[in-house]
Amino acid sequence: MDVVVTGVGLALAGAEREQELLGHGPDPKASVAPFDPAARIGGRGLRYKDRASQLALCAAADALAASGLVAADGRPTVNAASVGVTASSNTGNLDTVCLAASMLNEETSDGLSPMSLPNASSNVVASSVAMQFGLRGPNLMLCNGPTSGLDAVYWATQLLAGGRCESAVVIGTEPRNAVVARLCGVPEFALFDGAAAVVLEGAAAARGRGATPAARLGRFARERGLAACITRLLGGDGGGLGAWFTPESYNAKLVAPDVPRYDLSATFGLSSGALGVLQCVAAVGWLTSGGTGTALITTGDEGADAVSALLVFPACERADLPDKEHTP
Amino acid sequence: MSVSIAGVGAMASVGHDVAGLFEALCAGRSGQTPLRAFDATKFRAKTAFEIDDRTVQGADVPERATGWLLRVVAEAARQAGLGDDLSSVPVLVGTGLRELRSAELSWRGQASFDLGRLHFGSALAERFGAAASYTFANACSASLYALALGYDLLTAGEAEAVVVAGVDALTESMYGLLDRAQPGVPQGVRAFDTARNGTLLGEGAAAVVLRPDDSAPFAGGRGRLRAVSVNCDAYHVTAPDPQGMAAAIRDAHARAGVKADDIDLIMLHGTGTPLNDEAEAIAIGAVFGAAAGRPLMTGLKPQTGHTSGGAGLLSLVVALQALSSGRVPPLAGLVEPLPAAARFRFAPPGCQDQRLRLAQVNAFGFGGVNAVAIVEGSAG
Repeated sequence: MDVVVTGVGLALAGAEREQELLGHGPDPKASVAPFDPAARIGGRGLRYKDRASQLALCAAADALAASGLVAADGRPTVNAASVGVTASSNTGNLDTVCLAASMLNEETSDGLSPMSLPNASSNVVASSVAMQFGLRGPNLMLCNGPTSGLDAVYWATQLLAGGRCESAVVIGTEPRNAVVARLCGVPEFALFDGAAAVVLEGAAAARGRGATPAARLGRFARERGLAACITRLLGGDGGGLGAWFTPESYNAKLVAPDVPRYDLSATFGLSSGALGVLQCVAAVGWLTSGGTGTALITTGDEGADAVSALLVFPACERADLPDKEHTP
Repeated sequence: MSVSIAGVGAMASVGHDVAGLFEALCAGRSGQTPLRAFDATKFRAKTAFEIDDRTVQGADVPERATGWLLRVVAEAARQAGLGDDLSSVPVLVGTGLRELRSAELSWRGQASFDLGRLHFGSALAERFGAAASYTFANACSASLYALALGYDLLTAGEAEAVVVAGVDALTESMYGLLDRAQPGVPQGVRAFDTARNGTLLGEGAAAVVLRPDDSAPFAGGRGRLRAVSVNCDAYHVTAPDPQGMAAAIRDAHARAGVKADDIDLIMLHGTGTPLNDEAEAIAIGAVFGAAAGRPLMTGLKPQTGHTSGGAGLLSLVVALQALSSGRVPPLAGLVEPLPAAARFRFAPPGCQDQRLRLAQVNAFGFGGVNAVAIVEGSAG
């Protein structure tokens, strides 16, 4: 099944549009104000939501609006049960969990806020997006480590291929806060604070409702080790490769040196479960700003349990690149 | 299209393997004990259904959930003849709370914990060489959501075997927030009873190995997975919606090619909360109509507590045991069914019926994530 991207959305400081993800990011010397969800979508609906969910709602709103799946009134333009949600976050609710645990050091459970209960469940991001836009299709939350964002993209394509939904919005989100910084052992400023979203649907379905694809997804691979994963996708032949979106750390020699590379974690902060989706949005930005060839997206590195990778093609042509989508 | 269930593994407070768990459930034993995981003076509720495998009493250790996951996956994989090498087998794990208990311990300086082990991928890679493992954090329907995805992988011909698992350990944050948010202080889990007043958390894990239906002689398998439905209420962060539940049940029946009349056994989600059990009863009533009095119904949570993300698959493994043995664990603690369930036929103690063939397994979670599986026994 050909899966295409029909909308993207971003919620982070330093990049409003997908093309801006390819630049140098926010000036490290300037103090950049954090992204303000209330300024983007209004305070209503954000109350009691944790920051990861707030950021996700903003990115999803833009992606769904761009795809035409959600109208100006915020409701779906198609059968609500036909739209799925997959979301990814590793650290999203660590603040809720750990601050509740701290509170219980000092006080009894009476000291806790009952409004925090939904945020203690790690799927709050995915279900919040479903509730905000009335999306009744499959609702899936990935918390799968460094590869999680790209895995959420993969499972959205699986839901589409399995006929469980006709379109899906995929969101990757991570919050910057003191709890995450301490648990990760990094300074707070090193953390990513934002969300990215893409809307995926089958090419035929998109055509059928007159949506304009921005990119087409190629094969996904998951292997132990970056080299094995890249080999699996490219078959040892990097021909046609136009851009490489790298994991947080990587062996630079795995891809030909003349292929431009984008290390979004270096530019925008350690983005953990948001990275794979952020890379997809950036790949769309690269394709729509004159990039030629195929984009290679990789998440996870030798220190992770595995590496996930995905090829992204321009939307409208198929024949001028060696198609690697054969079954190995 | 069916897939074969080639191996099963499970553990909970009342039993640490499939056989032991099933015997304990049929005997009506409960795993409920005074709270040992945390300082009970902090909470109104004082009990839980724990797997208390800590070596030093009162001193918690990280990665207990991970340990149970590895154990049930090994049990299922061994039975399915996969052994300990899962390097080419996708492993799909559904969980509500991941290793968040370990994060709590780390945050409070009670243990060191690598945040890269919040999901289960590293442990599965170390133990089984798993390259394609996925941790889905889908609240209390997580393991049946994972089952749906595993079913899709197999039926699409993308894998020759898939391991699906579910696991959860108590977290202090979830226990405390439930304690704060629930109006009552439950003394037990009184699923579907008029006297129910809330749920209590339990610990547990379950795993199944899925194979294409034609890959192994069916007689050797534990049963067939006929279908799994998944959807979302898009209604409320914690309150369930009977319409969303009913839609999931109808979809599961349609996917399995069965009618409500064909279902012999329903494994209820039955959390013992006023809202869930009422909504679940209404949903079943709406779908089954006049046939709502036909299937036997039971649920595990009065004996295992609410095992969160692992609950659905734990119910499914028990359903397979019931279908193959003809013995059905009772819905323990039921005295007077809630009004919407007045016509339901709940399994009494000592329940036996050799004619059971098809079971429906319900799992519903926070955020309105619903999943319903239909399984067929190996004797059927």
